[in-house]
Amino acid sequence: MARALGLAAVTALVAAPWILPPYHLTLLLPALGYSIALLGLNLLFGTTGLLSFGHALFVALGAYTAAVMTTHLGIKAFELVLAAAAGVAAVVAVPVGLLCVRYVKIYFGMLTLAFGMLFYSFLYKFYTLTGGDEGIRVGRPTLLGQAFEDLDKVAFLTGPFYYYALGLLGLAALGMHRIVTSPFGLCLRAVRENPDKAGSLAVGVRSYRLAAFVVAAVFGAVGGTLLAVPTGLADPLLAYWTHSGNLVFMLLLGGFEHFLGPLVGAVVFIFLQDQVMSLTPYWRFVFGVILAVVVIFFPRGLMGLLAPRARAA
Amino acid sequence: MTLLEAVDVRKRYGNVVALDGVTLAVAAGEFVSIIGPNGAGKTTLVNLLSGQSAPSSGAVRFKGRDVGGVGPVRLARLGMARAFQLVHVFPALTVGETIAVAVVSRLGRGRRWLAALAHDRAVWEEVAEVAEIFGLGGALGRPARTLPQGDKKLLDVASAFALRPELILLDEPTSGVSTADKHAIMEVLVGAARRVGVKAIVQVEHDMDIVFGYSDRIVALQQGRVLADGPPASILADESVLAAVVGRPPAGAGRVR
Amino acid sequence: MLGGVFHAAVLFLVAAGLQLVFGVQRILNLACGSFYALGAYTGVSAVGWALGAGLPAPLFVLVLLAAGVALAAIGPPIERLLRTIYDRDEAFQLLLTFALVLMLEDVIRFVWGTAPVQLGGVYLVYGQARIASTTVPVYNLVVIAAGALIALGMGWFLARSRFGRIVRATAENREMAEALGVDMSRVYVRVFTLGVGLGTVGGALVIPATAAMNEMGIELIVEAFAVVVIGGLGSMRGAAAGALIVGVLKGVAIATWPEVEMLAIYVIVIAVLVLRPAGLFARATA
Repeated sequence: MARALGLAAVTALVAAPWILPPYHLTLLLPALGYSIALLGLNLLFGTTGLLSFGHALFVALGAYTAAVMTTHLGIKAFELVLAAAAGVAAVVAVPVGLLCVRYVKIYFGMLTLAFGMLFYSFLYKFYTLTGGDEGIRVGRPTLLGQAFEDLDKVAFLTGPFYYYALGLLGLAALGMHRIVTSPFGLCLRAVRENPDKAGSLAVGVRSYRLAAFVVAAVFGAVGGTLLAVPTGLADPLLAYWTHSGNLVFMLLLGGFEHFLGPLVGAVVFIFLQDQVMSLTPYWRFVFGVILAVVVIFFPRGLMGLLAPRARAA
Repeated sequence: MTLLEAVDVRKRYGNVVALDGVTLAVAAGEFVSIIGPNGAGKTTLVNLLSGQSAPSSGAVRFKGRDVGGVGPVRLARLGMARAFQLVHVFPALTVGETIAVAVVSRLGRGRRWLAALAHDRAVWEEVAEVAEIFGLGGALGRPARTLPQGDKKLLDVASAFALRPELILLDEPTSGVSTADKHAIMEVLVGAARRVGVKAIVQVEHDMDIVFGYSDRIVALQQGRVLADGPPASILADESVLAAVVGRPPAGAGRVR
Repeated sequence: MLGGVFHAAVLFLVAAGLQLVFGVQRILNLACGSFYALGAYTGVSAVGWALGAGLPAPLFVLVLLAAGVALAAIGPPIERLLRTIYDRDEAFQLLLTFALVLMLEDVIRFVWGTAPVQLGGVYLVYGQARIASTTVPVYNLVVIAAGALIALGMGWFLARSRFGRIVRATAENREMAEALGVDMSRVYVRVFTLGVGLGTVGGALVIPATAAMNEMGIELIVEAFAVVVIGGLGSMRGAAAGALIVGVLKGVAIATWPEVEMLAIYVIVIAVLVLRPAGLFARATA
């Protein structure tokens, strides 16, 4: 069942450029970026049992890395941007994680939220470095050394960049699948289920939590770079706590117990947002109601409805 | 050879003295039971012996190394495992996965974060072996939360045994288990210890049947001190100790192993 | 400096509501900032209406208080919604309060629009006071006094009154309190309503000094979090001390080096977490 769904999802995404109009493709682009970020968030929440309300910090970190490199440093190679974003995220995540993983549950959530907002206020206030509330523009990157200069913006985004992002999501999903099915992943689940017992079995609870935190951060930053290219901008709101809240919302909507949950959650959230926003200016209210309904009645999300017993992680 | 020893260990919580100069030693090959009335300091002693907390003064040594307060992870790596009084399992993990956590951690595989666990034959062979010893071989794929209480207890202990420790600390291994199952569990435990290569067992136990039936040596605590330390026969012979610690002569006294 | 204390007084009210609800219900209410925003907007409308109806201007502070208290009536229905998930993982409780944040934000947009709303002309109705070499609006002093009074009142209420004792007992040990025959669902409704009321009153009181904006709720919640982390989650004294620290720090930072305003607060938060992880005034059990 899970495999069939996965195959259907892959087929649909590969075929999308031939089927969907460009407008919907440009909606799919952020969904791909969010999917990667959510894969990371789900390693933290679904697998390790830590709810971060500051994951947007790393998404923003990725976006700003892309902005600084393409605009200020003139480095257009997207592979370098990705590597730098991953590296920066890991470097930031280690000290932040060291502090955060001393806490669990609600305290962990609060602390990650505080760190996210710390970064937000840095981005917002240090105008000369970060461009303040205007942010920094993100230039068009080269993909695998190709500049695609003959394509206009939409053609570039919905053509080469779409497939590049899709390929990256594929790699990220494969990588994450390996992680959750590895011995390391088993230990993370043990830490989630019962930290005391895990400790008595010589599983160093904090180091595992920290490792999960860092991996999640790297996925968040890679997702962030993908988000920044279509919008062409990295701005402070990417780090705002409500953005973190929306990430958790997407994850819950898709279903945190299922490996495909992040992908489903991101796609449904983005398309739903587009629809609801076109119907009413009060889309937040509608989304609040949707979130409440999901939390109260369908805590296992859409994938929980589709594949009731397939627990991948 | 002395595996585990406590030398003149004291533990204070504020003004309360929980342990007041306890000295004991556990040698390879021994099965030692710690007994005593509630509040005698048994739990405190186990927490000290298992590195959970550090003594206020005195020393706890495992294989000659000071292990006061080093925590369960370090101790487990040194070769001492502990099973809790209350049943501790990973509710959503299967029986096989639960034991695999211990095996993975003992083999140092936990850092392999891109390896496929499903194809790690060394891990699963050992999991199957341990599960078999504890009679859980048929339940490998069952989530731990769906097991009956007695099997949960066995799984808890089995995962500790899967660390292949030299010494295992059991905090009331038969608590919460029906009287009928108690001896069955103890038989499994003692047999498993032999097969896995556990050199010594230390248990805290209330059930005097179990204590006198399986121990090589009994340490009786009262008010934070060692009241008596000797083989079951000598404890049974001392009326004052029996009265103070047990309250009554055990029903199964004199039972021969 | 005194501006900081003024901010601290308001912050304390919101943080106290957060602490109270967390202490008893173990729910970290992200929406407490939204209650604050709702209180602010309602305060503007209520005073505008009252002045239009011929109320003498100096009485406006009573209207604000009344508006804040009346708004606490949204507490019980919201508590009813939260009740559906009391037995769930904290993550879901947090998310449900996030859903409330989203909903309340648009309720405010729907009723009052997106432009900032201001309460003109009453801020200085009590005149200015000279303290040392600076002038301070007397209204600020009124709010500081009100905050202090509410803090003392809360302290007395929790320590002495029957309901206060029940609240403390529940915070210490829920099962025990239940076993002693305390009707939990009633305690929860009242505590939550009280928590909402503290937030809405805080919002109503702040409004003569500043404009009501859509973002004020989601911005304040972050400061309120800083307050409870610094003071220790669940501690009333901690909320008061934390609010003073954050409020004054913010006041000083704005006056001297505006760029670091929020950064300074987080540096303190992180320092507290490193040095005293349970917060400055944490209860032993927390």
